[in-house]
Amino acid sequence: MITRRDVPDLRITVGYWRASRRLTQLIFFIGMTWFIGMVWSPSLAMAASTLTIEADSVEAEGWQAKAVKVVLAPAQRPALALNSQIKVAKAPAWGSLHAECGQVKLPAGRGKWSCQQGLVTADRIRLPFNFTLDTAPVAGQPSLRLDLHVQDAQFSDAAGLHAAEKLHARAEVQARQQGGRWLWNAGLAWSGGELFWQPLYLQGQGQALKAAGTWDAQALQLDRAELLLPGVATVHASGKWSVPERQWQSLHVNVPEFDLAKAYPALLKPMVEQSALGHVEMAGNIALKADWQAGQLQAFKLRLRDVDMEDEQHRFAFYKLNADIPWDYEQPQPVQLDFAGGHLLKVPLAASHLQAEVNRYALTAPELRLNILDGALVLSDVSAAMLGGQWYWHLRANLTPLDMPALSTALGWPRMAGKVAASIPMVTYNAGTLTTDGVLGFNLFDGSISVNNLGMQTPLGSSPRLHADIEMRNLDLGHLTRTFSFGAIEGKLDGDIQHLELQNWQPVAFDAVLKSSPGRYPRKISQRAVENISALGGAGAAAAIQRSVLRFFDQFNYEKLGLSCRLHADVCTMDGVAEAPQGYVIVKGSGIPAITVMGYNRQVGWSELVSRIRRVTESNVKPVIQ
Amino acid sequence: MKNIIIVFSLMMSMLLSLSAAHAAADIEINTPAISAIKGSMQSRHAQLAPFYSSGAVGFSRDGLVAVRDAAAVPLAQRQALNNLVAAENKDRNALYAEIANGNQHPEWEPEIRATFAKRWADKAQGGWWVQDGSGWVKK
Repeated sequence: MITRRDVPDLRITVGYWRASRRLTQLIFFIGMTWFIGMVWSPSLAMAASTLTIEADSVEAEGWQAKAVKVVLAPAQRPALALNSQIKVAKAPAWGSLHAECGQVKLPAGRGKWSCQQGLVTADRIRLPFNFTLDTAPVAGQPSLRLDLHVQDAQFSDAAGLHAAEKLHARAEVQARQQGGRWLWNAGLAWSGGELFWQPLYLQGQGQALKAAGTWDAQALQLDRAELLLPGVATVHASGKWSVPERQWQSLHVNVPEFDLAKAYPALLKPMVEQSALGHVEMAGNIALKADWQAGQLQAFKLRLRDVDMEDEQHRFAFYKLNADIPWDYEQPQPVQLDFAGGHLLKVPLAASHLQAEVNRYALTAPELRLNILDGALVLSDVSAAMLGGQWYWHLRANLTPLDMPALSTALGWPRMAGKVAASIPMVTYNAGTLTTDGVLGFNLFDGSISVNNLGMQTPLGSSPRLHADIEMRNLDLGHLTRTFSFGAIEGKLDGDIQHLELQNWQPVAFDAVLKSSPGRYPRKISQRAVENISALGGAGAAAAIQRSVLRFFDQFNYEKLGLSCRLHADVCTMDGVAEAPQGYVIVKGSGIPAITVMGYNRQVGWSELVSRIRRVTESNVKPVIQ
Repeated sequence: MKNIIIVFSLMMSMLLSLSAAHAAADIEINTPAISAIKGSMQSRHAQLAPFYSSGAVGFSRDGLVAVRDAAAVPLAQRQALNNLVAAENKDRNALYAEIANGNQHPEWEPEIRATFAKRWADKAQGGWWVQDGSGWVKK
């Protein structure tokens, strides 16, 4: 260590200095200049016009500095300047740090300090400031009053994920020592500028924090804190921060009212953007109380009042949602939720009331009844658990009879008559994959439809998948053909769709056979239906009918009809009820007048077939005949 | 010696069968899932293109996109940018997996990803940033 004194200037050079505690020592290091100024300047200021302190290197826990130079020259501008190379432990390279005060005011004894036109600059940091610090004792006790203004400040980390621009803020701290600890109160007001703290973006609009408490070497006690977010909410907090453990020993947060319409876009949406709640319109109020112990969430109470939420992609909506959701790490809590209406994947939901019990990361309910139109989806023996951020659940489901005309209209399908009911003995959901054990039974078109082996992957994701085996028995062809505007057919239909696979709700593979049911019943087919069936197999056959004597008849008798399609790699391989030269029989006639409809193409592109079906059913026009 | 020959011919046949398999990968395969993902990526492209031009976002080596200079984007847009990048990468990952699935060979995903990474780099416009072995390069 070399020390050299020059008169009239004073210069202290330090070779190496090691600090053990980081923050307090940083303050000490910067404060050293002040100390020297305070104690020595009354005598030295006469002799010395500048005071310079230099250190080759300073090392502390978490950071190090080199080529440190502090110059105090009260008569000059800047009156105080600090220049250094600095490196924070995790940083890959050295950066330069510059701090200055344009004007300084140093007290002769204890009293008011001030730094005007202050500026701190470093890599990606520019922090203009003014501050005054009053250290005059109050009633004989050490005390501090700090007033700091930051104007037009900006900072950013290297990745730009924590950054601020044009920041205007004011901090005031008052503290006095009493019985070995400090009593403090502080205020922070943020009047302008913008802040991005991933994932939150906030603009300074008069947000204010007021807090008070005590502080000693062991703990920072927060007696009360109030964070005002104008127009959104007021957050109240209290707690105790343990200095040696560096965590909240206890923390209690209370938000009595949160306006969702304002809070969702600014505060909640960025947090949940990648989830199903990421693109939702919300309105209503929520209230939240939460408790942390030893850094861990211990309990919370979330209350929703008249919340409306609508998914922007129309996958779900809930209206007038009211809920009480308590949670406690130590004991099970009852959860209640009700809503006045809504929809889930376009299935309309009527007013429902749900109750469940939540036990740490698991939820159970003997019965959840979701009212749908005039019926209900009743989920029973529900058990769900959250493990490693993924949901796992299983339940039994029962769909009580629903009015099909109302449901089909709501789903945007052709209006269907009848009722639908289903029963699923077991549904399980494992981290995005939904599977069912047992059969879903539907009663439709006076017949029955059963769905086996139904499974889904990511039903609310970007590319949902579904697989199932479907069995249809004795569907009334009269109902069916009227529903889909296909041209009248009288009779009954059986169908088997094996290995059905949907991606993004579009079929990619199946093995389907549709054919007239066995048994005795009237079998009639209209000329229009004949033309439509022929059109499905491609133009040609229909033209023959148009030209033949058969066009004098409106309907014909048939013995059996059937068509099969095996879809694979976007091609449908077709077949009928019997083989025929160069083709296959789709409708086999019998009696008088009888007609036989043939198919000739065995390989049809799926998209071509879909557009043919669409031409026949949707547009309800006659097939194009060349 | 005989063993060495056997091992060598085994390795050769494995290599040959591997390359034969790759030759068979249909990278243009289309399924509803693939066309849904491609549609979603196409509709996002218009939002991402300005960020490619400004250098805020570049094409990474693993067939994804990455924020390489957030400072080029105003603070108010940074989270939107993060979300765009996350959504784009979710789609890209799903696309590579779906193409591998569509080829009935899920294990081909890494090769398909590598092929796409090269394609994205080749298709990048002048001024866009692409990551190669040494780091970010402006085309």
